[in-house]
Amino acid sequence: MARAIRQISKQTPNVEEEQAQAAADLMRQLTENKDAVIAGIQVMKGLNDMGIFDALRGMLDNRTEVGAIAMQQLNQPATHNVIKAGMFGIQFLSTLQLGQLETVMNGVGLGMKRLSKTGQDGEKQSIWKMRRRLRSPEIRAAMTAMVDFMEGMGEAFLHNKKHDE
Amino acid sequence: MKESNFSIEINGKEYAAEPGQSILEVAKAGDLFIPAICYHPNLGTIQTCDTCYVNAGGELVRSCVTKAQPGMKVETLSQPVQEAQYEGISRILKNHELYCTVCDNNNGNCTIHNTVEHMGLAHQKYPFEAKPYPPDNSHPFYRYEPDQCILCGRCVEACQDLQVNETLTIDWSRKVPRVIWDNDVPIDESSCVSCGHCVNVCPCNALMEKSMLGEAGYLTGIPPKILAPMIDMTKEVEPGYREIFAISEVEAAMRKSRIKRTKTVCTYCGVGCSFEVWTKDRDILRIQPLEEAPVNGISTCVKGKWGWDFVNSEERLTKPLIRKGDEFVEATWDEALDLIAEKLGGIKEKYGPDALGFIASSKCSNEENYVFQKLARGIVGTNNVDNCSRYCQSPATAALLRTVGHGGDAGTIHDIQAAELIIVIGANAAESHPVLATRIKRAHKLHGQKLIVVDLRENELAQRADLIVHPKPSTDLIWINAVTKYILDMGWEDKDFLDERVNNYEEFVKSLEKFTLEYAEEKTGVTKEQMITVATSIHEAKSTCILWAMGITQHSGATDASTAISNLLLITGNYGRTGTGAYPLRGHNNVQGACDFGTMPAWFPGYEPIQSPKVRERYEKAWGTAIPSEPGYDNHQMVEGMHKGEIKAMYLFGEEMALVDANSNYVQAAFEKLEFYVVQDIFFSKTAQFADVVLPAAPSLEKDGTFTNTERRIQRFYKVLEPLGDSKPDWEIIQEVANRLGANWNYKHPSEIMDEAASLAPIFAGVSYDRLEGFQSLVWPVAADGKDTPLLYTDKFAFPDGKARLVAVDWTPPVEVDAEYDLHLNNGRILEHFHEGNMTYRNEGLTHKVPDTWLEVSLELAKERNLQDGTLVGLTSPYGHVEVRVIVTDRVKGNEVYLPMNTRDDSKAVNYLTSSYHDYITHTPAYKEMGVKMEVIEAEGESPLPDHNHRFGNRVPQISVKVEEKWNRADFTPIDELIQLRGDEYGQSNQAN
Repeated sequence: MARAIRQISKQTPNVEEEQAQAAADLMRQLTENKDAVIAGIQVMKGLNDMGIFDALRGMLDNRTEVGAIAMQQLNQPATHNVIKAGMFGIQFLSTLQLGQLETVMNGVGLGMKRLSKTGQDGEKQSIWKMRRRLRSPEIRAAMTAMVDFMEGMGEAFLHNKKHDE
Repeated sequence: MKESNFSIEINGKEYAAEPGQSILEVAKAGDLFIPAICYHPNLGTIQTCDTCYVNAGGELVRSCVTKAQPGMKVETLSQPVQEAQYEGISRILKNHELYCTVCDNNNGNCTIHNTVEHMGLAHQKYPFEAKPYPPDNSHPFYRYEPDQCILCGRCVEACQDLQVNETLTIDWSRKVPRVIWDNDVPIDESSCVSCGHCVNVCPCNALMEKSMLGEAGYLTGIPPKILAPMIDMTKEVEPGYREIFAISEVEAAMRKSRIKRTKTVCTYCGVGCSFEVWTKDRDILRIQPLEEAPVNGISTCVKGKWGWDFVNSEERLTKPLIRKGDEFVEATWDEALDLIAEKLGGIKEKYGPDALGFIASSKCSNEENYVFQKLARGIVGTNNVDNCSRYCQSPATAALLRTVGHGGDAGTIHDIQAAELIIVIGANAAESHPVLATRIKRAHKLHGQKLIVVDLRENELAQRADLIVHPKPSTDLIWINAVTKYILDMGWEDKDFLDERVNNYEEFVKSLEKFTLEYAEEKTGVTKEQMITVATSIHEAKSTCILWAMGITQHSGATDASTAISNLLLITGNYGRTGTGAYPLRGHNNVQGACDFGTMPAWFPGYEPIQSPKVRERYEKAWGTAIPSEPGYDNHQMVEGMHKGEIKAMYLFGEEMALVDANSNYVQAAFEKLEFYVVQDIFFSKTAQFADVVLPAAPSLEKDGTFTNTERRIQRFYKVLEPLGDSKPDWEIIQEVANRLGANWNYKHPSEIMDEAASLAPIFAGVSYDRLEGFQSLVWPVAADGKDTPLLYTDKFAFPDGKARLVAVDWTPPVEVDAEYDLHLNNGRILEHFHEGNMTYRNEGLTHKVPDTWLEVSLELAKERNLQDGTLVGLTSPYGHVEVRVIVTDRVKGNEVYLPMNTRDDSKAVNYLTSSYHDYITHTPAYKEMGVKMEVIEAEGESPLPDHNHRFGNRVPQISVKVEEKWNRADFTPIDELIQLRGDEYGQSNQAN
């Protein structure tokens, strides 16, 4: 004969035992990581002495308000410009073609080498000699490249002007 | 390629097409991207988004609505087409703010996000404009945010024409249109049945599960005060959408590591919906159905969509309990299993194996039912094993086994959808099988399907039917036989079908002699005209399906009435063709599977008889044990056996038998007589209160396995969560009990159990987990090569000679009670809760919608007895007494009252009123045959059904979203007028520059 019963005796976990177990776990971790913990405490003490923790706690307690203010500050034209400039910078880099960049950079590198040598020697050249050097294929190639560069830039300027109109 | 198939040319390439396919469907099938936001494969064409423009034959047309024609030339790449598509998406983005990274819908499957990205849109043509409406957060489960709503109308289409609840519309007449519920009431106060269709198909975050909000994303929990300026800033600095999408895609990808998506199969009815469960740790974020779900597609019902948080209930059983004196004490698994082994073993030793009874669960998996009957038969040595189909569908199974040979539905939901005529008898499918009912409602609304409903209550399907028939209770066999006889008298039978495919014709026809229309009218109250209309409808329809449930099967003559249905279908040749057949609607997710896998006293898995020496030998050889040769006790006989002292011990899992079996007082008194009782469940049920040992089991979300739905479809479900606490999957527990009793089983995974069952039961020969991976499914019988059988009897019936059998049946009068019990007690389910409610009442939202059960009384009875909504009445039958509050409704008539079974409260549970009388063949209780008397206890009181229940809503039926009203607005310019083709578009190629 088993009548219907509803009473359930649940083994509620012993709070004291659970706490003792947790304390033992903590102690083990502390002793195993003694040096790191002591160094951490020193850093924390310094931060606490400076009042940083108080400030952080204040910010955390009021994170919605603080967040809203921060966003308000961030959401300004100056910040937009910084972010846009960053993004355009990245976009600019992405438009460069690696092969071309390599050629240009090699050229710049070689030019710098010459430049530093000339600078070091403190050598001066006559106007006449320099004029003669303008005829060399190297100088002409570099000049052509510079003119092409300026032409491209001018094209973009004109395109923008047209677009703005 | 089929002969009727053809191809069309899109952008110079040939694409295969089928007749009736739109250009968009052809493109999708051929993996060609054409933007389309309002189109959804399960919904069809809506024509609101205007993004799918293409050039077909020199005209700018919507590809979603333009049918592919042989020889058609289509192009999508020319500038005017691209401009048209850009104009379409721009109009959408005017209504939808793109803040994907901080949107909870940014999970890789957002239609708008993916379309904008795929189109390579860099900037927004029209600035976003907020709508002048606040979000509607009134509903417990989902919210509507008008500001994000693009007015695509998917939700309306789903509500109007797929679910066919007809709650949502778009009010195009306003200055700023929006979606409205009923006549513009808060969602919670509308006729919304909370099925979730609208949320499931929303292409963005306008309609979202509340459980997702602030939970899905890494940044979506940010308070609005911070979020709004963040969105502003993002919009201010964004160079273009591509860069923003890159970030949102990274965020979406990161979500994959925190949100787990697992396929499961619903456990709330026999329809067998499958979907993904999205979880974050143990939190259920969303139920997401997918188009590939074989039964439901994107459809769900209120319980399947929202009713799963019971898995985290604090009331879950997490440790074994052992009865000690007047209380249960928590124990270890070893202590519990040792005690079970000692007691069950001892009782078997002392009284023999037949002193033990085993009750299996139709909520648990095929594999669990298989190992449970193996334990009973092979380890304990008794066939006293049964499941709760005994309470519902055993008569239907028996009727089909004796007329057509297989105890299951003749076809699938697709046949029900395709039938020209549906007859529903004694089934409230819109509440008990909601997703299956949607297919009937849709076919009836859109495709001219005829619907006849025979029921005591005017349920939702009845309200929509072409003909409602209300017979006197328990007289269905008579009018069915009369209709059959009338068809024969008119010469409307299918003579060729009968000649070639059916036996016992002459004898059967003779048995119908007395079932004249006059006799039937007198006995059933159904008029001759109604019966003639039914007969004529069947005669005129090319295909008829008959669906039935407990209104037929819970009667004294239930097997015979089910047989009469099958006879009628045979006489009219309605078997073996698309859109025909018999469909007993299984109530639980695995009623079919529990029976299929052998938890029945007379049958091995796959319906092979215990008494067959050949079959027994096969199992004995495989199991290495002896198996008793005679059928054991069914549920009913086991209860009687407890009273008689024959059954001394019971092992029951996943069944609330104390409240669900009829005549609860008698059943509970039987439990009290047991010497030892093991109950295995996920909650501490009423049944568990009688146990000696209670074992904590794991629900479907915490284990792997398969279920078989009402269609005979076997589907795989996967473990979503780890079992809570010390609970375990039922198959593991059963294995451990078996091993303690001397078995040496070593199943590591349910797939191994299925492999064993498939190797032994011929109808499952080809079933394997490999073939059930993901959303794949198999409809039994399954041949060894994996070929399954969605439609039965196309060539032959399941008898040795291949012919069906007409079986003569006569009417069994119902249980009679004294005249003082003057009200007829009807009972059944409601939409919002499952069964006694052990799972669903633990869900806050479901309980908000329906906090308690109620008694439905008619307008006439209310007038006669001075009843109103909230009146507390006592109902007394010869077997017990309950007290419940009243709802007055025209759903019931005269002296018929309806008491839903969905309560855990002893004082309201209907089965304290029902009797132990039963179907004379299968012993299924005659739940539907009882009289009660009523007394008024409190004349007034709070209504048991709150005003915010859908039953008080006001539906607004219409076809689709009424897009013409959008087109007629003064501010609408058709895109094909705005953008002109120049005529030189063909031949342009997709060049980058």
